[in-house]
Parts: sequence; C-alpha cells; structure tokens
Amino acid sequence: MKISHDERDGVAVIRFEGNLDTNTAPEAQDTLDGLVAGGTTKVLVDFGALDYISSAGLRVLLATAKKLRGSGGNLRLCSLNETVAEVFEISGFSTIFAVFPSEAEALEGF
Amino acid sequence: MIHLGTILGGAESSVPEARGKIRRLMRDLTNDGMVATRVATVASQLFRAANRIEQAGRIDVHLILDRAEPELVLDLVGVGGKMDCSVADAFFDAVHVVRVEGESTVRMVLRLPHLDPAAHQPRRQRELRDAVEEKGREALMRELTVKNRELQESFDNLRRTTTAKERMESELNIGRDIQMSMLPLKFPPFPHRNEFTVFATLEPAREVGGDFYDFFLIDEDRFCFCVGDVSGKGVPAALFMAVTKTLIKSRATNDFSPASILTHVNDEISENNESAMFVTLWLGILDVTTGELSYCNAGHNPPYLRSASGEVVRLANRHGPVVGAVEGLVYGEDAATLQSGDYLFVYTDGVTEAMDPAGELYEEDRLVRVLEARDYDSVEEMVAASTEDVWRFQAEAEQADDVTVLAVRFTGREGGAAGTHVLELEAGNRYEEIDRVNRSFDEFASTHGLPEKVRRSMKLVFDDLLNNVISYAYEDEDEHLIEIRIELSPDRLAVRITDDGHPFNPFGRTSPDTALELEEREIGGLGIHLVQNLMDEVSYTRRTDRNVVVLVKYLSHEAAENEPSEETT
Repeated sequence: MKISHDERDGVAVIRFEGNLDTNTAPEAQDTLDGLVAGGTTKVLVDFGALDYISSAGLRVLLATAKKLRGSGGNLRLCSLNETVAEVFEISGFSTIFAVFPSEAEALEGF
Repeated sequence: MIHLGTILGGAESSVPEARGKIRRLMRDLTNDGMVATRVATVASQLFRAANRIEQAGRIDVHLILDRAEPELVLDLVGVGGKMDCSVADAFFDAVHVVRVEGESTVRMVLRLPHLDPAAHQPRRQRELRDAVEEKGREALMRELTVKNRELQESFDNLRRTTTAKERMESELNIGRDIQMSMLPLKFPPFPHRNEFTVFATLEPAREVGGDFYDFFLIDEDRFCFCVGDVSGKGVPAALFMAVTKTLIKSRATNDFSPASILTHVNDEISENNESAMFVTLWLGILDVTTGELSYCNAGHNPPYLRSASGEVVRLANRHGPVVGAVEGLVYGEDAATLQSGDYLFVYTDGVTEAMDPAGELYEEDRLVRVLEARDYDSVEEMVAASTEDVWRFQAEAEQADDVTVLAVRFTGREGGAAGTHVLELEAGNRYEEIDRVNRSFDEFASTHGLPEKVRRSMKLVFDDLLNNVISYAYEDEDEHLIEIRIELSPDRLAVRITDDGHPFNPFGRTSPDTALELEEREIGGLGIHLVQNLMDEVSYTRRTDRNVVVLVKYLSHEAAENEPSEETT
C-alpha cells in the first residue's frame, strides 16, 4: 500500500492506494496517529485508489475517529469504491462516518 | 410495499394449512415450485418453533416492489428474540429481529430475482406491479381472507374440544416436534461438493405419519442417505425414529455396507422392542467420485433411477422385511453404477397412497410419468415437480399420511470439472502469508475473468479469515500450514480453508451490533460479520483434527447486478 498526504485549506488529506488490511493497517495507523499527535484536527481520507478494506482497516478508522473526537477534531471519508461502500453498509460504518462521493465535496464546509 | 395477507399460527394442526397457503402464494408470485416449497418449509418450521414457546404469532406477508430487486418480507410477529431462527438463515437473504407495532418480530427477507425485471426491463416491472396490485393482489387477498377465516374458525373449534382430545393432540404435537427437529433442513448441505447434489422434503400429515429422511458424508467420498417410515404415531414413534436414525449414523461411520448396517440396526432394535414398532427403510451409500451405489431395501417402496438419457428404472429388489420386526435377520444388498447426470429418487408411501377427493390413490404410474416428463435441471426442481403433482392430485382432500421425497443427482468429478478451474494454495501461519495468498488469487481471478467486485470481496474475506486463523487457532509457537482450495465454476466461486488449529467455529458467535454510535462501537467480530454478509454461503465443520471453513459466492447473480439498467442508459 502507498500512503500520501498533503494539506488543503487546513485539512489533512490522506490517500490510501492498494489494500487496507492486516498487513498494511499498522502503517496506516502510524500515519494517522502521527497527524493527530501533531495537532491536526481535520482529516479527510480519500479511498479513490483503494482496492479493498478489511476489518483490520476499519479498526484503524474507528480508532482515529475516536481520537479525533477526543481532541475536538473530525474525520471525513470520500471516494469509496463499490466493495468498500458495501463493507461500510454491512458494518454500519456508513452511518457513523461522514462519507462523501468526492474529495471536493468532502472539503466543502469542512 | 404491498401487504399480501396474514397467516395465523396456533396449534400444530394448523401448521400444514399455513404451510400450504404460503406455498401457493409463493408459487403464484414466483412461478417457481422449488422456491415456493422451500420458503413454505422454513416458514412452517418457524411456526412450529413459535408454537413450542407458546407464542403462536402470525406471519404478515409483504411484497416490496420499489427496490432494484423485489423482496418478499415475512414478518413472524410477536416472537422475536425468544426463538432459534437459524433454520431461516440458510434460505432467506436476511433474517433479523425488528419491532413491528411494538412487538418483537422476526423479519425474513427473500430477494426475488425471478420477479426482478428492474435491472433491464422497466416495462415488465410495471406490468408485474399492475398485475400484483390490481388483479393478482385482489385474487390473492380474497383467497387469503377466506382461508384466514377458515383457519381462525378451526382454531376456535379446536380450543373448544374436550380435554381428552386436547391431551391426545398435544401428545401428537410433541411427537411431531421431535420428528421434524431431527431432519436435516439446510440446503444445499454440501455447497463445496460438486460431484453430487441432494434435496429432500417432508410434508407432515395432520395426524398420522412417522416418515423421516437423513443423509451425511461418511468420509470424503462416501455419501450415505436413507428414507424411512415408522409404524405408529406420537411420542413413541418419534423416539423410535430417533433411535433408528442414531443407530444408522453411528454404525455407518465404520461400516460401509448398507446390508451390514441394516442387519446390525435391526438386531439392536429387535432385541428390546417391547412396543413392537417397526420401520421401513431404504438406505444407500454412493461413492461420489465413481458413481458406485450400494443399497438395501428393508420393506420400503422401491425408489427410481432416472438416467441422464431420460430412462426411468425401478430399483425393485427388496432385501428383507421391515427393520425391528424379526431379530437375527441377515439383509442383502444390491449395487448399481450411476453415470454423470443420473438421478436417484427415493420416497415414502405417502406419495403413492395420496388420495384425491374421490378416494382414488395416486399410485406409482403417476409418479413415473412425472419423473419421465422432462430433463430436470436440479434435484430441487425434481422434488418440487413430484410433490406439486401430488398436491394437484390431492386437491381439496385431506393429506392422509406424511409425504417424503428425496432426490440425489450424481455428477462425478468429470462432469463437475467442465468449465471449472482450481487453485490450491498453502500458507504458513504468518501474517505476511495473507499477502501472498491474495497475490496468487489476484492472478487466478484476472486469468479467469472473475468480476471485479467478487475479486475484491474475496480478498477482504481471505484477509479477515486468515487473520482470524493465524491470530487465534494455534496455542503453540510452531509453524502450521493452512490449506486453501479455490474452485471457480461457471456459476459459483467455492473456497475451502482448512487449518489444524484447535476446534473453533468462527461463525458460532453472534454478530456485532452495527447500529451503535461511534463511541460505543467495538471492532470484535466485525471481520466474521463481513465474511458472512459478503458470501452467499458459509459453513464450518470439524473434520477429525482439522477446522474446515467453506465459502460460496454465486456468480450469475453477481453478473446480473453488474448489468447496467436501461433506465440509466
């Protein structure tokens, strides 16, 4: 998996490319933890280049969202492919996360 | 959402009527006897379970057409959370507990792709909706209203009967409960095996009847199946049946001869048979790789063999009298070799002795005509066609005896291999190995053109299941091998994962609550929940010292979903 991030209008935008699963979750968690520890409060995760996410990946998102909420921040997600969207539906994550169709829409009013 | 009617539960004796009602309704809706029979079977099982906890309940039937795929919703109202609904999981697309009008309700949802013109034929969908709403719905409602009234009246009558009769009835009901709870009801029972298929149905009569069927794999290649009819009724007959079934199964684990099995079972039963009950039995053992069948008929109706070419042969030989009557008998057996595409059809006398309103018997000729009528596509279709023919014949006459039908279709390895691709992998119990498995699977998937969505779902499933095994299956620090067998056929992707860890059923836990708020959410169990929802079938068995998990994803369904609908083009 490749992880890239940049900042737009005060929002940290993280792009995951490949798989967010057992083997890549630790790296993803480190990256997100680093941002939160560095004082970032607004995080947008762009899933546009993600192939699939397993429960190990969901765990990372849940942990990050809880940490951000603890520090008054917020997590948004965008550009889910069909499989990722289905996983969000099945797990109930689609109702507890703010999910947007595109990066532009997610950044609007963040 | 269209309300198609309400079916009332109540005493055991009302279940066959309710079952018939659901079957007719489903047949009218789907024009598919097989789906109708299966939905009716599951619904009647749940009614029985509801009656057992003295929460008779009712089933509200709704049809939802304003979705991409029409859904039939059966609400078993007033019993939610109190009963085991696992029997419904195997057949319905979703089963959950909801609140309906303040009552805890088991909601069973069945998608009806048969009714699904939405994806490509919007016009047909309109016609269908019109048909159901106008003509169809009116007709169905009229019929259901009348039947409901009749059912309520007979229920009221029943409550007014004398105590003696109630006692007798309740004894019969308990016997019936025991009988029905012993039957394997999950179909297909062996989704990972494509050498053979089996389907069976037992329609109990109102009062008399002691039919049963059973089937199981003795080992990897030997499939044992039997159909029987116990003399007598009520609790004694049901217990006799339970004993017979248990004796057969325990004997068959190390005795592969039907004659020998029935000889021993007969000795065991006759030895202490003070009740003088007996059972007619037909038992066969099929080698699912070679098609070799050995069978023993102990006073039972001779079954039929339907060859792939359409020839119907009666397996007429009998090898001894009914089991339980005479101690010390030695039974014989016969052998036959099934060819790819052959069907074996076993039944009880409830079929041939079904009576029409004029008192005429159904008899074997009619059965043979149904078997000869056409080339059946599946065991389900053959079973549905034969039972439907009996119900048609019986019409309004009361069902006098249990009707049991079991069909086995042999395909063999060669037949099953047409258009089938297999990938076999071994992975060590290290997390990095998951990556390797998924890379091999990616290559396999792209070589054989697996749909993108299935490929992604499958990789996620591998990640979660293998993670589960590697994390929890082993108590030592040693190296272990996990075997993965992936079989892709034109209509399905079947995966078998075998590990030598300690016994653990990953599907044995309850699903996590996915409706909780962020703060309350825990991640435990979520991976398995995803697997169960993304796959069409999941199963777990412990085979000697190994855990075997089998997953099936149907492909035709998936392909249809991916087709662009006309409305968007």
